[in-house]
Amino acid sequence: MFPNRNICCALIFAATFVPTLAAQQWRAPTTMKKLADGLTVVVSEDHSAPTFGLCVSYGIGFRLEPEGRTGFAHLFEHMMFEGTPNAPKGVLDRVIEGGGGNNNGDTRYDHTEYIETAPISTLDPVLWIEADRMKTLDFSPKNLENQRNVVEEEVRVNVLNRPYGLFFAIDLPGRAFDTYPNAHNFYGDFKDLDAAKIEDVKAFYEQYYAPNNAVLAVVGDVKPDEVFAKTEKYFASVPARPTPPRPKVDEAPQTAERRASETDKLAKVPALAIGYRMPPRHTPDALPAAVTGELLHNGQASRLYQALVKGKEVAISVDGGVNWPLGSAFEYNGPTLMTSFIIYPPNVTEDQLLAAYDAAVKELADKGPSPQDLERIVAKMRSDWYDQLEIPISRASALSHAVLFDGRFDAVYQIPEDLAKVTPAQVRAFAAKYLVATNRTIINRVPAAGGQAEKPQGGGL
Amino acid sequence: MKISHICGALIFLAGMSFGQKEAPLPPDLPAYGPEKPLQAPVVNATKLENGLTVWLVSEPGFPKVAFQIAVRGGLAADPADRPGISELLAKTIDQGTKTRNAKQIAQELQAAGGDCNATTEKDDIEISTSVLSSRIETGVNLLADILQNASFPDAEVTLAKRNLADSLQQRESEPSFLAARALAKVLFGDHPYRVAAPTQESIAAATPSDLRSIYEQRFRPDQSIMVIVGDFENARLLELLKSRLATWKGPSESPVAAPSNPFATPEHAVYVVPRPGSVQTTLRLASFGPVRSAPDYEAAELANAVYGGTFSSRLTSNIREDKGYTYSPFSFLRSYRQAAVLTTGADVRNDVTGPTLNEIMYEMNRLATTSPSDAELTKTKRYLIGSEAINLQARSAVAQELATLWVDGLPPDYINTYGQKISAATKDDVDSAAKKYFPFAHTVIIAVGEENVVRDALAPFGLPVHAAP
Repeated sequence: MFPNRNICCALIFAATFVPTLAAQQWRAPTTMKKLADGLTVVVSEDHSAPTFGLCVSYGIGFRLEPEGRTGFAHLFEHMMFEGTPNAPKGVLDRVIEGGGGNNNGDTRYDHTEYIETAPISTLDPVLWIEADRMKTLDFSPKNLENQRNVVEEEVRVNVLNRPYGLFFAIDLPGRAFDTYPNAHNFYGDFKDLDAAKIEDVKAFYEQYYAPNNAVLAVVGDVKPDEVFAKTEKYFASVPARPTPPRPKVDEAPQTAERRASETDKLAKVPALAIGYRMPPRHTPDALPAAVTGELLHNGQASRLYQALVKGKEVAISVDGGVNWPLGSAFEYNGPTLMTSFIIYPPNVTEDQLLAAYDAAVKELADKGPSPQDLERIVAKMRSDWYDQLEIPISRASALSHAVLFDGRFDAVYQIPEDLAKVTPAQVRAFAAKYLVATNRTIINRVPAAGGQAEKPQGGGL
Repeated sequence: MKISHICGALIFLAGMSFGQKEAPLPPDLPAYGPEKPLQAPVVNATKLENGLTVWLVSEPGFPKVAFQIAVRGGLAADPADRPGISELLAKTIDQGTKTRNAKQIAQELQAAGGDCNATTEKDDIEISTSVLSSRIETGVNLLADILQNASFPDAEVTLAKRNLADSLQQRESEPSFLAARALAKVLFGDHPYRVAAPTQESIAAATPSDLRSIYEQRFRPDQSIMVIVGDFENARLLELLKSRLATWKGPSESPVAAPSNPFATPEHAVYVVPRPGSVQTTLRLASFGPVRSAPDYEAAELANAVYGGTFSSRLTSNIREDKGYTYSPFSFLRSYRQAAVLTTGADVRNDVTGPTLNEIMYEMNRLATTSPSDAELTKTKRYLIGSEAINLQARSAVAQELATLWVDGLPPDYINTYGQKISAATKDDVDSAAKKYFPFAHTVIIAVGEENVVRDALAPFGLPVHAAP
């Protein structure tokens, strides 16, 4: 099912078996074109299977959803699957699944993406569907009511009925940042979800869901010219609209450590979340930040696993990284955190855990990584990044985000090479500057005594 | 090898009807294009002299290699007084060998771009990793060492026991874990498949020497497979494998046969797992289905996809898209070596617990008593065949699928024949499978949530209600 990817260079080195890492760069042939209505189309050929992956990313996420409407960007995403005047509710899933494929959507801080993958025979219907829902929607109050219920069940299953309730992703930024765009509960308070009206859906659609605020990427068994011709055909009649303004979402610098404690009526074991504010993307500190995040969190070889789970034996598990868990360290467009989420044994105190954590961070800030440490984590990050690019649907997603944020896709293939240039001194300097108490927020989350509930998670933002 | 695939070359959507309630398709919606043949992975299957099965799939062009190892004997093979000890074995198998400590193993693998992932299934233990193809030799070396020389150091086992005990306590706060554990006990009765996780007692009792003796017993080349998929040349890699694994010898005695008891039919009843503070009821329904080697497996897969296995299925259309009771309803057929389970699930707000079970009951019995429409069947066949191609795009997914086939006693060619069988299934086949496997009366019903909410909501069904074991 996947003979001869028409891509790379690794074959040349197969005979030597152990080429240097630097020799093994990988790029897929990729081209880009802007249509008259402003829609950017990116195509990456991959003939290894008779399938395709497609992603339409819009330049709107929960960071810019209106005040009083927390959770709206995500609720809106659900409405994109609820039909149009041409293709009523149900048609989209029937056509894509009947074509052998599947589809989904994701809302994040700075983008909302709609993704499909299917046998190549389903490409035309899928392009038609994406163009159709870029023209208008079936703004049905009945369907809004239905999806409000569905989204509230989603919040229950992922937040309210679940131990820890994603406090490391919802409450932590809520305390680490001071302005509404970065600090509010992105999943939505029920009072805000309940208040959403069909007029809000219309206005949001008009403002943000324009072709000139979107990037379409197609990856798979296609030729660029063929995809460009098809997108011209299906998307030419989508009208351009004024490009939405992008308000400033910067935060005033943090000057003091922030600490909080929460109780959890469902958890049986305590957990700690720590968030450090990160530098903006494309600043000199951003790549060292990404590497540091992985040095500390990636797998059993990571510094924190070795120090906390092994070493001091004060943690059960450690997760985290830059922009974790809602994206990679390369895909954000506003303030973000390096987050650590640590589940720890009931007989360990918060102070004991934090002392061990601080010692591990201090060691990195004092001494930096060894060249071997750095080479290891860069190999792992490269390997993980290639996993992102292997499957058409996730490569389409990565390409569309890069073009949406930066107007170019080069970074997608450049990341492994850029990582290899990071030096131990840069990591040490980054850690010394950013991984300091005054730049962080800590929430300690402990099981409620005797099953006594405090307020539900996510309600305090 | 080519999958003879999908039915008919061109299918025009316009004019197809999917049932009375469904909207007609837009007149200008383009038709599906011509189908292109799907090519199954070309598996180079060999057996080393020591009996190790090796399946290689060479896929040059992308700089990654995926490894998947399966060793027969999983949770179902654990000693009766050590239920779930396989899970502890999986957590400690990469924590030391004769020549490497845990940190060295983790660091060497990381330098190759990988992690060691060891998991426990009912029938086997699996070890997987995915590395940069330029570091394939490191991957082979590390896995060969783990397979032959795992040492289960006392200190690492002690730490792993403590962490497993704590994380078991943590998992017990997850409703999906509570449901899965109860479901296995209720459905499988006295059969060893009843074990879904270790217990605090079995973790506390486990010793390093328990682990070492289970490792000696199960980790033998004639009971193992290594699947490797990715950027390499078969002959060279095979030489490397021979040189690193030639010394791996199993015990001389025959392997212990997998334990098996007859499966009893469990009582059609509600089994309640109290979880104070729940704002949802976690509903799981399960019954027995056909195993993957059974002649009606594919027909049952089709029936399941019509019922609840896709987003446009009847169940999702009903309880999510029409009624808004739940976010992520699902159903799936999962085959183990000796039995297969058909599971339905939905997490629903407390006050729609009863209405949701009523709709699930309706959809199961509707499937068991009436035929799907032609359009539903066509759509579902195309979905399952297309999904196979989609699901096997990643090297790691191909490796995993091939290893699972071996564990289930199926040849690699099953990937080809699956599509053919799906294509060939008739409406009668699907009707028979639906009638045989989908009646609501065959299910056990697990409900995790506020106990009084659940008991009150489900009382009108008139079913026996038990505390889950």
